[in-house]
Amino acid sequence: MSDFTSWWSEETGAQELNGDIRSPASGPSRRALLKAGVAAAAVAPFLMRVDDAIAQGITPKRGGTLTSLLTPEPPVLMIGVNAQGPTLTVVSKIFQPLFTYSPTLDFVPVLAKSWTISDDKKVYTFRLQENVKFHDGQPMTADDVIFSAMKFWMTLSLRARIVFARIEKAEATDPYTVVITLKESYAPFMYGFGGTGFTIVPKHLYDVADLRNNPNNAKPVGTGPFKLVEWQRGSFIRLRRNEDYWKPNQPYLDEIVYRIVPDSQSRAVALQSGQVQLAGGNDIEPFDLPRFQAQSNLSVTLKGWEYYGPLAWIDINKRVKPLDDVRVRRAMSMALDRNFILQKLWFNSGKVATGPMCETTKFYDATVKLPPFDIAAANKLLDEAGHKADGSGIRFTIRHMPLPYGEVWTRLSEYFRASMQKIGINVTMDTTDAGGHTARMAKWDYETSINYIYQVGDANIGLEQYFTSENIRNVAFNNVGGYSNPRVDELLAKSRYATDPAERQKLLSEFQRIAVDDMPYLFLIQMSFPTYTTKRLNNVITTAMGISGDFDDVFLA
Amino acid sequence: MTESRLHAMPRLIGWRVLKMALMVLAIVVVNFLLIHAAPGDPASAIAGQSGQADAEFMRQLREQFGLDKPLPVQLWIYIERVLTFDLGVSHRLQRPVLTVILERLPATLLLTGSAFLIALSSGIALGVRAARKPGGIADTVIMGVSLFFYATPLFLVGIVLVLVFGVWLNWLPTFGMETVDVPLHGLARVLDVAWHAVLPVVTLAVFYSAVYVRLTRASMLEVSSYPFVKTARAKGATEHRVTWVHVLRNALLPVITLAGIQAGHLIGGSVLVETVFAWPGIGSLAFEALIARDYDLLLGIFLCTSVVVLVFNLLTDLLYLVFDPRVQAL
Amino acid sequence: MKSFVRRFPRMAIGSAIILAVIAMAATAPIFFPFSPWDMRGSPFEPPGSPDFLLGSDALGRDIAAGIAHGAWVSLMIGGISTMASLGIGVSLGALAGYVGGRVDDAVMRFAEFFQTIPSFLLAILLVAIFRPSIFSIIAAIALVSWPPVARVVRAEFLSLRKREFVQAAEVLGVSHMRVVWQTLLPNALPPVIVLGSLMVANAVLTESALSFLGLGDANWMSWGFLVGSGRSVIRIGWWISVLPGVAIFITVLGLNLLGEGLQTWLNPRLSKRDMP
Repeated sequence: MSDFTSWWSEETGAQELNGDIRSPASGPSRRALLKAGVAAAAVAPFLMRVDDAIAQGITPKRGGTLTSLLTPEPPVLMIGVNAQGPTLTVVSKIFQPLFTYSPTLDFVPVLAKSWTISDDKKVYTFRLQENVKFHDGQPMTADDVIFSAMKFWMTLSLRARIVFARIEKAEATDPYTVVITLKESYAPFMYGFGGTGFTIVPKHLYDVADLRNNPNNAKPVGTGPFKLVEWQRGSFIRLRRNEDYWKPNQPYLDEIVYRIVPDSQSRAVALQSGQVQLAGGNDIEPFDLPRFQAQSNLSVTLKGWEYYGPLAWIDINKRVKPLDDVRVRRAMSMALDRNFILQKLWFNSGKVATGPMCETTKFYDATVKLPPFDIAAANKLLDEAGHKADGSGIRFTIRHMPLPYGEVWTRLSEYFRASMQKIGINVTMDTTDAGGHTARMAKWDYETSINYIYQVGDANIGLEQYFTSENIRNVAFNNVGGYSNPRVDELLAKSRYATDPAERQKLLSEFQRIAVDDMPYLFLIQMSFPTYTTKRLNNVITTAMGISGDFDDVFLA
Repeated sequence: MTESRLHAMPRLIGWRVLKMALMVLAIVVVNFLLIHAAPGDPASAIAGQSGQADAEFMRQLREQFGLDKPLPVQLWIYIERVLTFDLGVSHRLQRPVLTVILERLPATLLLTGSAFLIALSSGIALGVRAARKPGGIADTVIMGVSLFFYATPLFLVGIVLVLVFGVWLNWLPTFGMETVDVPLHGLARVLDVAWHAVLPVVTLAVFYSAVYVRLTRASMLEVSSYPFVKTARAKGATEHRVTWVHVLRNALLPVITLAGIQAGHLIGGSVLVETVFAWPGIGSLAFEALIARDYDLLLGIFLCTSVVVLVFNLLTDLLYLVFDPRVQAL
Repeated sequence: MKSFVRRFPRMAIGSAIILAVIAMAATAPIFFPFSPWDMRGSPFEPPGSPDFLLGSDALGRDIAAGIAHGAWVSLMIGGISTMASLGIGVSLGALAGYVGGRVDDAVMRFAEFFQTIPSFLLAILLVAIFRPSIFSIIAAIALVSWPPVARVVRAEFLSLRKREFVQAAEVLGVSHMRVVWQTLLPNALPPVIVLGSLMVANAVLTESALSFLGLGDANWMSWGFLVGSGRSVIRIGWWISVLPGVAIFITVLGLNLLGEGLQTWLNPRLSKRDMP
């Protein structure tokens, strides 16, 4: 059994450890590294980020109310019951995970002090913080962790179910030690067992039959630095400092108020006029990015989306002729100028896609490249495929269902139509409101549409369901386009169980190459939603979870 | 005759209430069928919002919401519940629909109510002024301005007002219903809400005011030509009295009729204004409920707004009795 | 002609505006012989820049072309939906007013039904159900705007039926259809025409509001689409929203003047006093 504890800080560990996973030869010896890790973790791992601030000459200050935007309003403020971004942004202050992720997707301890992983990657032993209390005063113990995993998350979360179904047994060897034994080694396990994907809920309040309608959902009780005190629907959510928080002297803020403002221009006005000090996620339209970047009292960062890794693509129903022809899909991909999309629509918030994975996702292969933007070559390819243009220059007509999530997505669909026009493909828009979009995707009732998917750190958690043939089914957010390649099935299945990182890299690199060759989706951009903060606000983005971190070290200078 | 009319009123109102109940029932049934005809259902909307789905999960959700039953059965269950004043539970907010609506309705009533009163009073006053001398400077200005606001899309007026008064001049709050950073109480809170209400109320009011100005003016001009006005003048009534008592009283009838019909319009218009100004009312809630296919909530909103409109119509009809020239003549 | 302008200045101005808008719609393919969706230059060019007379939008599309081509779409939506709701309203109103009794009662309840549901909410619901498309938008607008027409026609029919010339026709044994078509309808038409011009204006506004909420048809560039698509970038390019807004404004203004003028013209008792 080898120790495997890691955390993140600027000067030690992270990069080497990262190198360790990707190419074992390049990093320092594992033993030396882990020694440093355990030592630091034992002292005060969670003070690292605050220390960084102090090192920069800023002393954390107690007090103050942080007013933030939140878009759209969460339907319920209970983790697990709802997995929408805005819900996570708020509940992440109330419920905490065992560990979270650094910007390079290494592991940062939170409620788990440290952990070890057996050599066969089947047994995970977590040591818990011992002085943690829930908001109702009850101590948090190993029982709560086991209940949360095996009952709460298994019941409520689909993504967790994919991962937690691999658990054979979860045991408490003492009140502060949890031993998780997997049925077989499962490579992405740690990427499904932390962050907002697995937080600890109190067993004494949630051990009921109907978790979804538990009356406690209205008054969430967690271990986090903030408690929910007021929620005026349609207007605002107020969180207040947890006086009995388990980290001494933290959090620094007295209150966090989330204001719900449905109109994007009103939100921009609120940020500009200083009525709110924080905006992120969908709060501000990309069009406004350059204007706010120029504003001296604001700072804007693109960091904090490394874990979620949103990737936008055009989804293609490969049952529809001629979209079943890979040459047609390649030509369509070549007709799209991703730099235009990134610069003119997303105002450089993100990067162009190079394949099915984001750069920040584990085992991304930088050598995989999409065919370049080339209208002439695309036209030639379509000619070769036998799709001749008629008198008015049209080869064929396809339907397109825009993503009904706001203006910028509508513009993207319009850009898609204009680009397809240039290679003789006529696109008719087939608009549906947000309530109908998912249902039509699930019924395969579309020809092309747009989607963006979260990679959550590991291809075997975030991407697999869109590429393997066992996931071709009438359920949204699966392989609804009907892509099937036995080699891809095989690669992803092997990668799921491979214990050696080098082996996984080989498998997933081949997967990325095939995904680009087969072009089941037209990969567009690696998105990153800018976070806007007033300069007075510190430590907002310190982990890969971005604004969905716990904010226990955030302060107003 | 006046006496007997007033005596008949309770029975008249009782009859009206029965008709209103039937109307509400019809609205419930039609809306129920319409909403269920829309593509997608609550389960797919939940999946869409959370970005994940599996077949078992969808089946569970549909069972939980009772969507696995045949549509007529669902309709029957819903009507049964409505008859016992149970509007069901919003699946998205996981709270009783009636609670959610009662929470949001006051904001909309405040917004539309004040906008309506302002529009009606200013519309009538300006309409009367404009009709005094058709073609005069006042008439031209009033009609020009009212036409301007009538012809500009409501949401564009809202956005421009936000830019001018909220951003450039920074005089007024541009969104929300109250200041939340520092909780206020008592009079301070009332003033705070009033302060926040200025822009949304004005946006909604200018549009409807334009309608009333034009109608009042036209109606005033029409009534002025009636013989009884000449009679009044001949009898030596002052011009002031002729305008405000004889003409206006009669000219108000079509205005009241329109006002009654427009209650429904106002609530519809509040969807846009509430969206632009982040006003936590029922209009924006309705739009969210539609997008989320929150069947029970959306039906509940349609039901409640219909009741509000019907009650309002009843009130205007009663008002009509008061203003009816035949009553006056007798 | 001259005396017409002098006698009915509002109607003259109104018709001039509407004719100009129709002319703009008709000549759009000549002055802008390309699709208004074409991306023809750099985004966010202000009005008056060399490539774009009225500026360009977020994708570098020509606003002037959008307004010109959009005129056609907006007028079409306004025109067809008004025709449809006039069709529904006139026939139901005539039926109610002519037959009376239970039919009248039923029709009026039906109209009341539509007037009780907040019309814009119903329009939103209808468009969402039948998927946003030019047809569902026209149908939704028509469906929510016919009740006033029915009421007006019914009222006219009720009062006309009592008139001697109608009763005379009935006594002479003229068929019901003929009485309705040749005697009643022509006499009931003036207020309907006035109402119609206002309904076109309302339809243009409603379509723009639907587009604002993201329920427009993305295959047809209407003014409402332009205003809606520009609102989120109004701080970067005010012209994207405001100029099409001005186009809507001018058209609605023209239709209103036309309506008012028609009212004055068709109701001579008022014309003398109303004339500025």
